[in-house]
Amino acid sequence: MVSWHTSITTKLTAGFIILILIIAGMSVLYTLGSTKAALKETTRDELTALASMAATQVNGDILKNIKPGDENTLDFLTIRDQLYEMEKSSPEILYMYTMRKEGDGISFIVDASYGIDDDAAPIGEVYEFFTDEMISGFQISNADAEYTTDQWGTVMSGYAPIYDSTGEAVGIIGVDMSADRIIERQDFIGNTIYLIIFIGILITGLIIGFFSRTMIRDIKSLNDSAARISAGDMNVMVTVERNDEIGELAESFSRMVSSLKIMMMDEDA
Amino acid sequence: MIEITALSETILAESIKVLGPAAKRFLDRQTVHHMGGLAFDDLRAEHIPDLVKWVGISAQLIIDKKKAEELVKKISDLA
Repeated sequence: MVSWHTSITTKLTAGFIILILIIAGMSVLYTLGSTKAALKETTRDELTALASMAATQVNGDILKNIKPGDENTLDFLTIRDQLYEMEKSSPEILYMYTMRKEGDGISFIVDASYGIDDDAAPIGEVYEFFTDEMISGFQISNADAEYTTDQWGTVMSGYAPIYDSTGEAVGIIGVDMSADRIIERQDFIGNTIYLIIFIGILITGLIIGFFSRTMIRDIKSLNDSAARISAGDMNVMVTVERNDEIGELAESFSRMVSSLKIMMMDEDA
Repeated sequence: MIEITALSETILAESIKVLGPAAKRFLDRQTVHHMGGLAFDDLRAEHIPDLVKWVGISAQLIIDKKKAEELVKKISDLA
């Protein structure tokens, strides 16, 4: 009797499981990585589009004249309400604001949440964590390549220039999406990929299990026949029929058994 | 029509595929014991029906029924 750890069934099953795990692992790594990157890129495009669209709604002539202390003026409140409405129109948007260059730095003009949320930025508050994409946003619409973290949280932002009536860029509009939201999307895709691969492994396992079982069953049948013949039982019929190497082995074995029987019958006669 | 020696050789070749190297002994026994002492090498086409009958009976003692029937059919087709 073959022990389980030297059994061909164990070796085949272990081999197949290792093979499946390697293939599945490589697939997960590749698919998940490329999907996450693609999702990030899609999110950047989405943020850029949102910022571009929102920028066209803001009056640059009014915006450029807003200065610190104008928080209660009609111009400020009109733009703030406009931004706030846009911010609330999409569940994807976390914050929306306008900014301008002040010397070498960047400061807030209108924050959509000013007067609504306590942590909103007043006019003129300097923003210290500006990125290259934010600077480029004064010329062309774009979005951060990576998440940025500041006192308002970890976000990914899109930017677009706001022009006055002369065509001069007087500021940018910033649109923030929460990193949690993006990670949530990535997790959803990741979980879907895991589920698909798990189902794939399960189906592959069942198919491999089925084929292994028939193969092992036939090998066992041949082994049993050989064991019976070696014990002197000549009433053995080899009934294994396959079109593969095991089938060829069974046929050779069957011919050998037949010849043995014929010779033994001759001796008996 | 296959010639006498060629017929024996063809039947033997087909039988070896199923019964292995002792096929000649098996066929000899069928012709000698059941067909009036006829040597297998002297087999002629008219002996085929008798040979088929005895191969059909005896082969089932050695190999399974399906394989025995296949062998019988192959020999019958040579007639």
